[in-house]
Amino acid sequence: MSATADRATPAPTPAPAERSTFQKMLRQKRFVFGGIITLAVALFALFGPLFAPYGENEVVGPPYSSQGVFGTDYLGQDVLSRLMYGGTEVLIIALLATVLSTVFGTLIGVIAAYGGGWWDEVIMRLNDVLLSFPQILLALVVLTSIAQPKAWMLVVLVGLSNAPRTARIARGVALGLVSRDFVHAAEALGEKRSRVIVAEVLPNMNAPLLAEAGLRLTFSIGLVAAIGFLGITTDPSAANWGQMINENRLGLATQAWAVLAPVFVIALFTIGTNLTADGIAQVNQRGGDD
Amino acid sequence: MSVDVAPVEHAFEEVAPPKGRHGAAAWVSWIARRLGLAVLTLWLVSILVFVATTALGDPVRAILGKDYNSDKARVAQLTAQLNLDESLVTRYFHWLGNFLTGDFGTSIANQQPVAGQIGDNVVNTLVLVAISAIVMIPVAFGIAMISTNYRRRRPDTVIQTILLMLAALPEFVVGILLVAIFSTTVFHWLPAVTISGPGQHPWNEPKTMILPVATLVLAVAPYVSRIVRANLLEVLDSDYVELARLKGIPERVVMRKHALLNAIVPGIQVIALQLAWLAGGVVLVEKVFNYPGVGNQLVDSVQNHDVPMVQALTLIIAGVYVVVNLVADLLSILLTPRARTAISS
Amino acid sequence: MTNDNGSTPEGARFSRRQVFQYSGIAAAAVGGASLLDACGSDSGGGGGGGGTGGILVHGATGGSAKDTLDAHRPVQNADIARCFQLYEPLLYWDHNYEVQSAVAESVTPSADAKTWTIKLRQGVTFHNGKDVTPEDVLFTLQRVAGKEPTSAGVALAPIIDFDGTKKVDASTVVIKLKTPYAVLQYLLAEYTLGVVPADYDPAKPVGTGPFKYKSFSPGKNSVFVRYDDYWGDKAKVDEVHIQDFADPSAQVNALQAGQVQTIDNLPYNLINTVKGQAGQIIEAESGAWVPFTMRVDSAPFTDVRVRQAMRLICDRQQMIDNALSGKGRVGNDMYAPFDPAYAKDLPQREQDIDQAKSLLKAAGQEGLQVQLFTGDDIGSVAPASAALFVEQAKKAGVDVKVVKKNPFYGDDYLSYPFGQDFWNTRNYLPQAAVGVLKGGTYNETHWDKAPEYPKYAQLVASAAAEVDETKRNSILQDAQKIEYDSGGYIIWGFRTQVDAVSQKVQGLKPSKFQPLGNYDFKTISISS
Repeated sequence: MSATADRATPAPTPAPAERSTFQKMLRQKRFVFGGIITLAVALFALFGPLFAPYGENEVVGPPYSSQGVFGTDYLGQDVLSRLMYGGTEVLIIALLATVLSTVFGTLIGVIAAYGGGWWDEVIMRLNDVLLSFPQILLALVVLTSIAQPKAWMLVVLVGLSNAPRTARIARGVALGLVSRDFVHAAEALGEKRSRVIVAEVLPNMNAPLLAEAGLRLTFSIGLVAAIGFLGITTDPSAANWGQMINENRLGLATQAWAVLAPVFVIALFTIGTNLTADGIAQVNQRGGDD
Repeated sequence: MSVDVAPVEHAFEEVAPPKGRHGAAAWVSWIARRLGLAVLTLWLVSILVFVATTALGDPVRAILGKDYNSDKARVAQLTAQLNLDESLVTRYFHWLGNFLTGDFGTSIANQQPVAGQIGDNVVNTLVLVAISAIVMIPVAFGIAMISTNYRRRRPDTVIQTILLMLAALPEFVVGILLVAIFSTTVFHWLPAVTISGPGQHPWNEPKTMILPVATLVLAVAPYVSRIVRANLLEVLDSDYVELARLKGIPERVVMRKHALLNAIVPGIQVIALQLAWLAGGVVLVEKVFNYPGVGNQLVDSVQNHDVPMVQALTLIIAGVYVVVNLVADLLSILLTPRARTAISS
Repeated sequence: MTNDNGSTPEGARFSRRQVFQYSGIAAAAVGGASLLDACGSDSGGGGGGGGTGGILVHGATGGSAKDTLDAHRPVQNADIARCFQLYEPLLYWDHNYEVQSAVAESVTPSADAKTWTIKLRQGVTFHNGKDVTPEDVLFTLQRVAGKEPTSAGVALAPIIDFDGTKKVDASTVVIKLKTPYAVLQYLLAEYTLGVVPADYDPAKPVGTGPFKYKSFSPGKNSVFVRYDDYWGDKAKVDEVHIQDFADPSAQVNALQAGQVQTIDNLPYNLINTVKGQAGQIIEAESGAWVPFTMRVDSAPFTDVRVRQAMRLICDRQQMIDNALSGKGRVGNDMYAPFDPAYAKDLPQREQDIDQAKSLLKAAGQEGLQVQLFTGDDIGSVAPASAALFVEQAKKAGVDVKVVKKNPFYGDDYLSYPFGQDFWNTRNYLPQAAVGVLKGGTYNETHWDKAPEYPKYAQLVASAAAEVDETKRNSILQDAQKIEYDSGGYIIWGFRTQVDAVSQKVQGLKPSKFQPLGNYDFKTISISS
């Protein structure tokens, strides 16, 4: 194992996407290990409900008893079953939010970089305003004004609050690209600006943006879980990892598994996605020589 | 949310100094520009805060809850106090004017001045953040140096992987794990929550500070440590250090005298930005430990729909963020010889 | 219903004469106590009260920046706990939920229950040293039930006639009512009716309670010191600190760490945790309930068969076992279980899915889908019981979707077709006045729109005016039968009041009324 120049600078210097990038990633231990964890947790979350021993809201015994693998929760529901039911929503919201923030953030970043001058200045200044608003704070202020948020609201909220962060990275990457020959060439050939962006700039940003998206996914999972932890939920009786922590916190001394089980899956999940993202970033930086 | 990355990069970019001006004039113009941008940012933030908080629904109902229907006197009083019959724009400028003159308004939840209630919590949070920073900086640098020492060998990889994993964990997850280990489930060594008596601060009972500080350190240190290590490695690989090595200076001295000094500038900036992040990011940590700081107060105020409190707290947090950003920029310029010369020559 | 000390035979309580008699007994008891106390404080010198002294730290559930010290506007548990330290009403509810005299020595109604004579106890002083005068009592009544009644005065405001309510002599006040009200003593004993001086300022609160105000920081804590000139049993501890806990797990942790000595409303599923960790549990049967509320004027609950079906769907024992960890008594869709008029002879309603299904079928509501509104601000029992109800309803083919409102007591409160609420111990007439009668502040089931309502309201009105207790009870039982058959409440149980105190705390007696023996901190002594 020779983890060479493992630079942890957040902004990977853009490397042209190569065909073999994915193969190089596969040779990265970090990427493979993180990928396996992520995949395992994702499969658990998606297919858990099919294999859960009890129903999501089925009462199987007295509250905080030790019946079943992980015992029962504050209401006497089976913790393992709720764990198996509780990941789908977290996973899907975090994923969609990441897609949203990546698309939206990239657009903003590229427009700023490509537009240059005033465009750049104004867009990035507004971006700073959003950045100086801590994400959880934005979530709190907006979500308490809504009685019971719908899942799509969480997607939009988490996605949009991530977007300025992605935009910053995207702008940095795009700035390096817009001055390159192939862009100039396309412009010289009289291509429309929007076409140049779509056809020439965007495809060349793939790899760094993928690493950024992995990072955003990590933070989105954390944010979605944190929102549940603060007691804000789309369906109060449904199982949800963040909310399970909130519901059962009181029982930490009595029936620790009711809290620790969701805590561990969230931890595993974020660790998995972060390792994967880092693996991608490393391949970008040094061509993945392993 | 774990530590965020983007702002750091942003600061690096902004360091790029203006060119082609001369001496003091260039400095003044650079600083003026940065200050102007900071003020502009704060102003936009104030609009955002104001609009977001006034969108909270009818605060009067939220405040009175079950008593709304029975206590008409308070309904009328609160409506008047909040100027709910004026237009949004009028209210905004009225509020901004008061805010700038130091009048943060009156809490609608308990009819006491906002400033007086926030003061203690701001101090509590600042102390928590400061202690965390004091603990975090040597820890982060230490780990980075150990890791660099073993660079590209097994211990380095192991440390880096562990740091990467820690950086991924949401801070409330870290906090709960620490409580489970040290307070409730495994051991019973430390108090799980902060309780401060009347007129007391949490640190009067130093034991209660340990877990909140540990949580924040674990949330921030991995990230800082990774950046510092990356910078150390870059310096160590540079010709300049290579030269020192060739001169026969021992590796330990090279590390201390040459590499560390050069890695400290980006380190400072990262730390400053992490401190800014902490000012807002402590919300969840304070909630886990019931710590009487601004984060906890903010959650409480949002739930109470206490508009003036939410406005003041969010603006303070955003203000800290912007100011620390500015200071970090200034410091890095002053500490980077290249940037310094670029501005004044 | 149990009778802890077995002192009063049921059905004989609260008669006009007995109010008078009780007050006599109470006065005598108090006299004796003060005598003993006087000895104690003489010998103890600065130590005070003959007790152990020291500081009692109470960890209060809830509390936020909304906290208030206003005697007549307590909102949450922390406010109520503070009220009990600072203020006293004319009468009060004792540990057994019976009316006793406090600032008033006696309260005597006229034969038609329209004129009530209040004799003030001599030697009761406010914390500022002034005697309690009729003017203070009149000011208090005006403040609570005058032009802008506080929530404490909602039941009193419509019936009190301020023109006839006046001072008679230096220690007597007469309350004149517009309509007869036979149980005014219930209203006068509410903790929200603490007597305050005519120059009352909530910012510098003054009352007659066993502790006086020292400091107050909303959402955080408040400090009270023993009032050495208290007319009754003086407090044993020197100071009471009331510390707010927005977060129940922090509260329980604080008790275990010895940072607080008492906490109210211990979460039910933590009883064993606290017991295992050297704490004492204070349990008391209470009349507190967390009902489901169905609006009788909102589809599908306009159909009485649907309401009956929902009541039959509810598995009351499971609610108690899982939402209350077994700490409660099964309810029968009627409130005020401690009222002598409580209709305890009506058959206990049980879960009956088949019956519920056939009622729904008859109403054309098979496969019914409803939203159930709940919220954290109702208390932790509400979301728990809502989650349980969802599963129970599934068995009858009813699809219940829980909607959590934040806040629940916000814009839509009282308009939820199907929701929840919490109520504390109250007797029938005062409860009906706020909960179900037309104009009641919290008429959440909109019972006044039901076809049965005119008959019901007429029964309640005649009961309120009926001075003969036996007759009154019988009329009230008829009224309860109507609610039992077609009301909008699902009252699945009455929760046991469970509080926790540290092993060091001694002298606290459980109470059916409020947590921690009605927050009776003056009786507590702390061993070291």
